[in-house]
Order: sequence, then structure tokens, then C-alpha cells
Amino acid sequence: MFWLVTAFLLVLPFVYESRNLMILLTQIFIFSVFAMSYDLLLGFTGIVSFGHAMFFGIGAYSIGIFMKRFEPTMVHFLLALVATLVLTAAISFIVGLLTLRLKSHFYAMLTLSLSGLFLVLAEKWRSLTYGNDGFTFRIPEPFIDRTHYYLLCLAVMAAAFMLLKRFTNSPLGRVLQAIRENEQRTESLGFQVLHYKIAASVVSGVLAGMAGILYAMSLRFVNTSVFSMDITLDALLMTIIGGVGTLYGAMIGAGLIEFAHDWLTELAKEHAIFERWIIFFGIIYILVVMFFPKGIVGTLRNVSFRRKKPEPAKKAEKLAG
Amino acid sequence: MDLFFNLTLNGLATGMLIFLLAAGLTLIFGLMDVLNFAHGGLFAWGAYSGLWVYSQTGSFLIGIAGAILTGFLLGIITEKWIIKPVYGNHVQQILITLGLMLVLSEMLKVVWGPNQLTANPPDYLVGAWEVGDVIIIKYRVFIIFVGLLIFGGVQYLLKKTKIGLVVRAGVMNKEMVQALGINIQKVFMFVFMIGSGMAALGGVLLGPYSGVIHAGMGMEFAILAFIVVVIGGMGNFKGSILAAILVGLSGSFMAYYVPDLSLAVNMLLMAVVLLVRPQGLFGAKG
Repeated sequence: MFWLVTAFLLVLPFVYESRNLMILLTQIFIFSVFAMSYDLLLGFTGIVSFGHAMFFGIGAYSIGIFMKRFEPTMVHFLLALVATLVLTAAISFIVGLLTLRLKSHFYAMLTLSLSGLFLVLAEKWRSLTYGNDGFTFRIPEPFIDRTHYYLLCLAVMAAAFMLLKRFTNSPLGRVLQAIRENEQRTESLGFQVLHYKIAASVVSGVLAGMAGILYAMSLRFVNTSVFSMDITLDALLMTIIGGVGTLYGAMIGAGLIEFAHDWLTELAKEHAIFERWIIFFGIIYILVVMFFPKGIVGTLRNVSFRRKKPEPAKKAEKLAG
Repeated sequence: MDLFFNLTLNGLATGMLIFLLAAGLTLIFGLMDVLNFAHGGLFAWGAYSGLWVYSQTGSFLIGIAGAILTGFLLGIITEKWIIKPVYGNHVQQILITLGLMLVLSEMLKVVWGPNQLTANPPDYLVGAWEVGDVIIIKYRVFIIFVGLLIFGGVQYLLKKTKIGLVVRAGVMNKEMVQALGINIQKVFMFVFMIGSGMAALGGVLLGPYSGVIHAGMGMEFAILAFIVVVIGGMGNFKGSILAAILVGLSGSFMAYYVPDLSLAVNMLLMAVVLLVRPQGLFGAKG
């Protein structure tokens, strides 16, 4: 199924020429990567992060700064990639070390405040970030063509999907899911829960940084909005509405939200209420958390599962411990 | 001397505002194990609704009453419809209260427009007293006074009344309280209402203090309140006022001497507390 859709998306730009659609799809691919990285934390490990924008923003700013300060060549692109890797890995490691041994509230709180700190940093450190206004930059030659870039993002999304699929099905990923289901029990089975959680946090942070790089390069512009709460909320909405712990859900959610965003922005020209489109998603989000904690994909899977054999009356499974 | 005094007063006033927000958070957390990420939304709603009532009636006191009433009302609705269905599930609670925060702050923009509004203190609180060469701004003293009043009131409620006894017992052991035949659901509702009312009060007091209010301020103050809750110890009411004053003072002094680092210092403080004493600086309970 996944490969069918990927193949379709692969040939799409060659048969159907639409610049807008292509840009929109590129955005969807980028946010899919971002949402999947979030899903690894929330859906597979049961960690709630409210500062995922921090990693996204670090990626976006490192590519921006490298391209602006130095010549936009492949070498510098690779350097920016490495810088993002190191920074996101280090920060997610430290944050994880500090808070993951405590209750889930602490991780959510610390990430929320840390990303707030990064937002302030990006605003104040004017000599490096140009403050609130942000800056434009040129990108290396091979990425300039929109079609090429579209294909690149598609490839990255597919690669991230494959990687995460392997990762979550690996022994390590199994332990993560065990932690989500019952942390105490996993610990009493002899697993160092903290180590596994930190591993998930680092992988997720690095991947989110990669999404940030792609995002900044697609716009060729970066400003403080990449650190804003909205980015984290996007990831949260996409993952929850699409379905947690499925990876497919994250991609479907990303597609849905980006399309809806595009469409509602059009509608906003006719009626002002649609300018506040986020409110609809907020309400949908609350309803989904309350009544369909598994999101679209999880709910659909349940339905198709039930048809095969009627399940014994099982209590609605909760999202996570 | 003048400068030192003013910065202290300023820090105390900010600390009191943060305290009003953090006290509700910490009480709700202590009793119900719910970390309410929508608390900042209630704060902002208090600010807007209070300002609206104030501008309609012309009386600041009625405006404050209106804000508290809005807080109570929103608190009841939140507890009943949003939080109750997901009791006992931490991840769902965190997610759902953040969703509520989103809806609350967007609703503000729908009702009052996306631009910031200006707020002025009433005539009798404008201006300052001069004692020697020290200038004391009246409104700041007013905020500190109200904050201490609320602290005393809640402390009295917790220590001297029957419901306070139940709340304190509930913080220690919910199941036991329930087993003794007390309807803890009602107590939850009561505490949530009080906490929301305090947050709304903090919001309406902030308006004339900072001069403008905007929908994003809920989140800004919520972050400070989270820091306070961590430093003071989760579920520790007395710790929250001490931590709030600490954060307020460090914020006001840092904002004067090294403005760019003011948030960073508080963050650092929180990181250290998390690392060394996750139960909070002033708490004995884990």
C-alpha cells in the first residue's frame, strides 16, 4: 500500500503539472518526517514532548546560517547536516537525561520551556539570526529545481519511514513499546528503561532536525517562527489525528492537516472565521483524544480487525500508561 | 537604593502574579495528579473578560469579580467535560489540556480580535507615593497586597476548614479519603474551580500592570508558572509562593542588569532543581 502511493507520488510531477500542488506535497513530505519523528516519542514510547519545534528549529537555523555565512555549496550543506546532527543529538540526550527518569509531566514541561528559551535566543542573538525578521539564503545548485527537490523530499520521507519501521520492529523498538504499555513491568524484567527512553528521544530529535533542514531549504528562508509553539502543535495534531504508534498515521495526519490548512486559508478570504482555522483542529483534536485515542489509522485498523473475528469485549485500550 | 527597592517591588509584584497562576497548578496537581496545560488559557481569559467587564461598568473591582467568575465557570466546565473523562491517564491528560489551551487562546482571538488591548489601572491606583527619594508605584503594592491576601485566604481554607482538611488528606492519599466515604469528585471540582479562579485573578491583575494584554501571554506566564511549580515542588502550596517570589525577583533583577538572560536563568534554576531535587526546593514529599 505504502509503496503504491509512493510510486504514484513519484510519477505525479511528470504527468500532472501543477506548481502549487507540488509545493504543497513537498511540505506534506517534510511534515510527514517531522510527525513520524514525533510519533516515535509519543506513539511508540509514550513520551509527551511539547518542545519538538526546538529540534526542527535547530535544523532550520543551522542550514540557514551555513548557507548565508558561507558559499552555498554541497560541502557546506554537509557541514550543516553534521552540525544539526550533533546539536540535536546532544540536546535531546541532555534533556532526556534530566527528565526522563521522572514522571511524564516533567519531560513535557522541560521541553516546553526549553523551546521557549530557544525562541528567545533566536530573537535576541541578532548577529547570528537577524532576530525576528529572519533572513533569506541561497541553496546549493542540485536543490534549486523544484521537481528535484520534490523527489528528494519524497525519498527522505520514504527513507525515514523505512528506517523507523525497522527501528520500531527491532528488539530496541520492542522494548520501547513495552515501556509504553507498562513501564514498571519492563523495568522489573531487567531493562534499563531510562537508556531506552533516551535512545528514542535522541533518534526522534535528530530526525526532527532533518525535517527542519528540509523545511528551511524549501522556503529558502528562516525566521523565529520555526521555534514557535505552532510547529510543535502541528506535529501533535498530525500525529494524534492520524493515529499514534502507526507511522502511517503520522503521514496521513500530515497530509490532512496541510491540505486543510491550504484549503481553509483560501476560504478565509471569503469568511473571516476561517482565519481561525486552528480552532476547528483544536476541537477535533480534543474529541479525538477523548473518543478515538488511536486516531484515524488505529480506529480503522480496529474496525477491519473486528470484521475478521469478533473480539471478546475488551476495554478501550488507553493511549499509554 | 531607590533602584534596588524598585526592582525588589517589581519582582515581588511579578512573583505574586506568577504565584496566583502556579498555586492553582500545584494544588490541582497535588490533589488530582493532573498537570493542567490549559491553565495559561484560563489566565488569559481572566485578563480579557475582566478588562471587558471593567470597561463596561467602569469599576475595576467589578471587573476583578467578573474575571474570577469567568475563571470559576471555565474551571467547572473544564473539569467536568475535559478532564474527568481522562482521569488516571497521564498522557491523555497532558494532550487534552494542551488542546484546550489551543482552543481557549484561539477563542480569545475570535471574541476580542487578534490585536492586543490596552489596560489602565483605575484612578485611585494610578501614580506613586514618594517616601524620601524612593518612589513606590501604587498598583504594584496593590498586586502584592492582593497576592498575600489570597495566600492567607487559601492557607486558612486549607488549614482551618473541613474542606481544607479533606483536600490535604486527598493530596496524601486519595484512595483512603474515598474509602472513608467522602465524595472526592466534588472536592476535585472545588479545587479545580478555586485554582482556575486564582489564575483568572492573576490575569486581570496583570492587565493594568503591563499595560497591554494579548492572547499569547497565557503561554508566556504558563511557562513561568511551570518553572515555579517545579522549583517549589509539585503539589506544595507554600513552596509555590516562595518559588514564585524567587522567580519574580530573579526575573526583575536579571531583566535590569542582563536582560537577554532573564529567562535563561530561571530555566537553569529549573534544570538544576530537576537534576538535584526533583521533589522541589521546599518540598519534603516526592
